[in-house]
Amino acid sequence: MAELSAFNFRPGSSVLHGLDVRFKLIFLVLISFTCLKAYSVALSVLTLVLVAVLMHSGLSFKSILKTFRYVFVLLVFIFITRALSTPGSVVAEFKSISITREGIYYGAIICWRLVVVILTGLSFVLTTRPSEIKVAVEWTLNPFPFIPAKRIATMMGLMVRFLPVIIDQVKESADAQRARGVENRKNPVYRLGKLGIPIMRRTFERADKLAVAMEARCYSENRTDPVLSSSIMDWIALCGVVCLCIVII
Amino acid sequence: MNIIEIENLSHYFTDGTCGLENINLTIQEGTFVVIAGQNGSGKTTLLKHLNGLLLPTTGTVRLAGTPVSKNLVKARQMVGMVFQDPDSQIVGETVCEDVAFGPENLCLDRDEVKRRVFRTLKIVGLLDFEDQKPHLLSGGEKRRLAIAGILAMEPKVLVFDEPFSSLDYPGVKQVLKQLISLHRSGHTILVAAHDLEKIIAHADRLVIMKDGKVLKDGIPSQLFRELEAFGIREPCASRLGMEVQSWLN
Repeated sequence: MAELSAFNFRPGSSVLHGLDVRFKLIFLVLISFTCLKAYSVALSVLTLVLVAVLMHSGLSFKSILKTFRYVFVLLVFIFITRALSTPGSVVAEFKSISITREGIYYGAIICWRLVVVILTGLSFVLTTRPSEIKVAVEWTLNPFPFIPAKRIATMMGLMVRFLPVIIDQVKESADAQRARGVENRKNPVYRLGKLGIPIMRRTFERADKLAVAMEARCYSENRTDPVLSSSIMDWIALCGVVCLCIVII
Repeated sequence: MNIIEIENLSHYFTDGTCGLENINLTIQEGTFVVIAGQNGSGKTTLLKHLNGLLLPTTGTVRLAGTPVSKNLVKARQMVGMVFQDPDSQIVGETVCEDVAFGPENLCLDRDEVKRRVFRTLKIVGLLDFEDQKPHLLSGGEKRRLAIAGILAMEPKVLVFDEPFSSLDYPGVKQVLKQLISLHRSGHTILVAAHDLEKIIAHADRLVIMKDGKVLKDGIPSQLFRELEAFGIREPCASRLGMEVQSWLN
């Protein structure tokens, strides 16, 4: 079974679990934008706060680290690119390639900012039911005319639901092909084609069946939505986050 | 009272293939009917006409006296359909959300949705799995969840397309128990199957289809000897000259 790392809702009774999804969405946006202006001290504070929040919400430190294995390659790539492309005092040099002190510093800061944004997203996803996220997306898109907010929110929800199923399919097809010796074929394009085409076909077939099943259950865009309500706790949290962001900027 | 009346029903697909040819059937409220036939005999096509997922090329399908095409939403609420592959039917990101999908589409108020979700999860024995992600359930549990999703819409007729496919023995027993208990609670049950072994002991009536036509219709025990001529395996006990027993014994 495909279990998608820690990026899944976990039922719980933490403070974050109890907050209104709209406020949590605002926190996500505020903290992400604040990160763009943050340097080492501010980033340390944010990282500590977020790790504490995540652990309070029921995620172990080990799981947090495990989550980052998916983005580790991206972070390393960004760090190297930055270290090699920023002008400044040279630390090491090989032919025309030089690594600068400023490059290392800014590379590390950018990676750290990304880590903080991911931690913020993780704490949002971990403590918010997918159906609430759907409603929050709908609420955010509603003021914009000509954007089908309900449809976008439903599509997002279905994507979250079907991603693990598609991952299961990929694993199953890859295993079936390995059992028939696909590893003897060294051409990656050939292997990708042989894996990708049947998976695409199965995914579209499943999408067709899903559409029929939804129709059988009277699907319409005009439906009962979860009720959203804010409490004093949400406003206190909002004040806290706003103050934190102002201090950092 | 006849809950389903099918008169001269024929269905031709867009490529001209005949799916159903001149079907005439009446089904009384509260009966347990098994529709048997080889793959491609038209079982699923027939079932899809009962809730308007397919509409007749000629002929009519009436539910409690009202033509299905007059009010599709009412037809889909009245005839709940459980599909062969539960993974294509389950749309919610959690068990609870999936069961709520149907009642939400009927625009019921939030309290009524909650009441129905609680009641149906209790009926199918999934109350402890409320916040579980559907893709992590076992085959039998997924099938029960699919049944719960339909039951939450409070249908009178329940239609099952190959309900035991790819289930292990405990899974078959779980689903079978559910079917029998739903029948006892007054629901009309229609089951499409190509393998009669697991279900036929509980059926009041057997309908045999081939090439889109109904060829036999009667009391199951009187049709056992003729099954093999239509490409359906005669139940093992009947072959040995014994009475067919329930899989739950």
